[in-house]
Amino acid sequence: METDAPALAMRDLSFSYAVAEGVPANAPVLDHASLEVPRGAFALLTGDTGSGKTTLLRLAKPEVAPAGELGGSVEVLGKDVRSLEPAESAQLVGYVLQCPDNQIVCDTVWHEMAFGLENVGLPQAEMRRRVAETCYFFGMESWLHRSFAELSGGQRQMLALASTLAMRPGLLLLDEPTSMLDPVAAKAFLSLLFRANRELGVTVVVATHSPWTMGEYATCALRVEGRRVEEVSLEGLSREPELGRLRPRCRPMGSREAIGIADAWFRYDRDADWVLRGCDLTVAEGEVRALIGGNGSGKSTLLALAAGTSRPQRGRARSALSCRQAFLPQSPKTLLARQSVADELMEWSRTAGYGRADADAMMAHMGLAGLAERHPYDLSGGQQQLLALAKLLLTRPRLLLLDEPTKGLDLELRREVVRVVNECRDDGVTVVVASHDVAFLEEVAAQTSLLFDGGVTLTGKTGEFFRESWVWGRS
Amino acid sequence: MTSPRAHAFETSHPAVPAAYLGGTVLIAMFALQPVLIALSLAGALAASLAFRGVRATLRGLRWQLPAVGVICLVNPLFSASGSTELWHLGPMAIYLESLAFGACMGAMLVAVVLWLECASRVLTQDRVLELGARALPTVTLMTSMTAQLVPQLVRRGQAVRSTYAACTAASGTRDARHAQVRMSDVLVAWAMEDSLERADAMRARGWGSTEARTTYRSVEFRGRDAAMLSCVVVFLLANAFLAYVACSQWRFYPTMPQLVVWWGYVPYAVQVLLPAALELMGRSRWR
Repeated sequence: METDAPALAMRDLSFSYAVAEGVPANAPVLDHASLEVPRGAFALLTGDTGSGKTTLLRLAKPEVAPAGELGGSVEVLGKDVRSLEPAESAQLVGYVLQCPDNQIVCDTVWHEMAFGLENVGLPQAEMRRRVAETCYFFGMESWLHRSFAELSGGQRQMLALASTLAMRPGLLLLDEPTSMLDPVAAKAFLSLLFRANRELGVTVVVATHSPWTMGEYATCALRVEGRRVEEVSLEGLSREPELGRLRPRCRPMGSREAIGIADAWFRYDRDADWVLRGCDLTVAEGEVRALIGGNGSGKSTLLALAAGTSRPQRGRARSALSCRQAFLPQSPKTLLARQSVADELMEWSRTAGYGRADADAMMAHMGLAGLAERHPYDLSGGQQQLLALAKLLLTRPRLLLLDEPTKGLDLELRREVVRVVNECRDDGVTVVVASHDVAFLEEVAAQTSLLFDGGVTLTGKTGEFFRESWVWGRS
Repeated sequence: MTSPRAHAFETSHPAVPAAYLGGTVLIAMFALQPVLIALSLAGALAASLAFRGVRATLRGLRWQLPAVGVICLVNPLFSASGSTELWHLGPMAIYLESLAFGACMGAMLVAVVLWLECASRVLTQDRVLELGARALPTVTLMTSMTAQLVPQLVRRGQAVRSTYAACTAASGTRDARHAQVRMSDVLVAWAMEDSLERADAMRARGWGSTEARTTYRSVEFRGRDAAMLSCVVVFLLANAFLAYVACSQWRFYPTMPQLVVWWGYVPYAVQVLLPAALELMGRSRWR
């Protein structure tokens, strides 16, 4: 191995996706792109959705590289990745994906840590050493014997990172690793990633659409734009861009009560802990209410009570709009049941009373025009979210319940959701939205309720709430 | 809710409890002799009380006892054999032997169910996987993945159903069969999509990169485990032989012989009461 070779070097890289025979070739995703990431760097890879960040990352890892026509060279630590043996490549380059649930293979933490080591045929003693050292480094000893189901989202992603690092890669590639995590878990994850970078000397390349969350760790930043890669300054990335102008909330709230939850007690099992303990929530008709709080504080449970899909074991939950409501769950895939975008939007046309023209208009309105024949699963995660939202809006709900509507979305799509929610508000739709996204909530919600210790601890005007907050306030 | 911890066999390699419980279940299934069945049932009940607690055991007995009653009563209706006639039910005669056979079968069934429930408490899933890890690495891995994916599928099914129920603005006629088909469509598409990403994650960590895959062992099979395992096997074989002797001297039809006091029952009693005794000893150490 050349000792002074960069951790990752791509030279004159061109790539276009494979197509079936007889079909005209795709336009290239990358065209003579070059980049160099020095050893020990913490590099951010930015770029708009669909600019080719993921393709670029995957090309550095032959096992997950997309099929297509590739020109130019990709070298990791001075070695051409295409000439590596599979076992060597698995150990040299680590790859962490976006969704924690889909990359955990085994049922228990220790088995997952050992999975990669078993795959490359390491001897018993070496495996034990690697598992032990990785656990020690990440402080994971206490959950070594837990099963996957017991882990939180943040712990799952941490496990994905740990089990990749147990392979001792020289280069670690991560594709939007924190976009599915709440802010607290994301920070915990990033600080571990930073420690791996500085203390273990692992070179890190992270593709992200929220570079400002990693500004303090990064040593350099690259941007994919116009099929090329260029180095950009970290300065320009350190501030979170504004989501939009704060629009005056001119519409007066109705005085009638839309949702009235009083002294609600709820738990999922007779022997489980109470999730809600004497929770009160009143939402007026036409109001946009934000719910904020830590993981497991009961935001989703409270939404389920408001939707009437769960009933409190004690207390009452009433909704004046229970016959005209729509619910957007955390994962849009829960709502997607058809083979094409157009069919998806038409699923409820008969029962909710709308036609093809309405669906087409909605598609154009939501920026989904031209995607009518695509399979919903061929859309990006953000577009799936918009599709699910469009499907709900077509039913003309008067009460909209949203659970983390901006999770995993890039800036453009978050702006899109802001616009849609504000339009609903202008139409007098009552909206209850649970989210960790402060910038988003500031744009849409009139009032914010903080969930803590099984109930609503505090409700206040959104602007004031975040201005006076110590932990959620933005500089 | 966390279940009480099983102390018995906690410090031994899973091969020991696996051999013990496997052998005990086998003998319990084949030894159709009243004394052996009574002993097996007593041992299984004691083990169940020790491992699973009073409440879980009673909850199980709520269906197990009626099942014994039903089997006991139904058997004479189907096999009208025996010699001691008890009653006449229309054209049918009910014989004592036939009733006794039904009762024994019912008790045996309950004992086997109880033993299996205890086994699931002692042999937790990761300990079972440990057993097969070296011989059947792929099967073990598949089992481990299934253990993770099946609950995920169930959770998603619930989410799909409740989301659908929550979207009342879209409601029309809610046909249950249509809702089921819709749910399976959603779940299948979702799972297939996930599997592509999971396959990538597996390949990224070297799955299939070498023929010589190794297996990580989190517990070792020590000399002490070997000694315990051989003790268990010898004990099981001896009891299997004694059970064979007892069973060969016993018949239900046409008449049942007199039961006698016999030393040969003692080793079996020791065997079936062992888990409960170990559990109590394990607990009393911490009192």
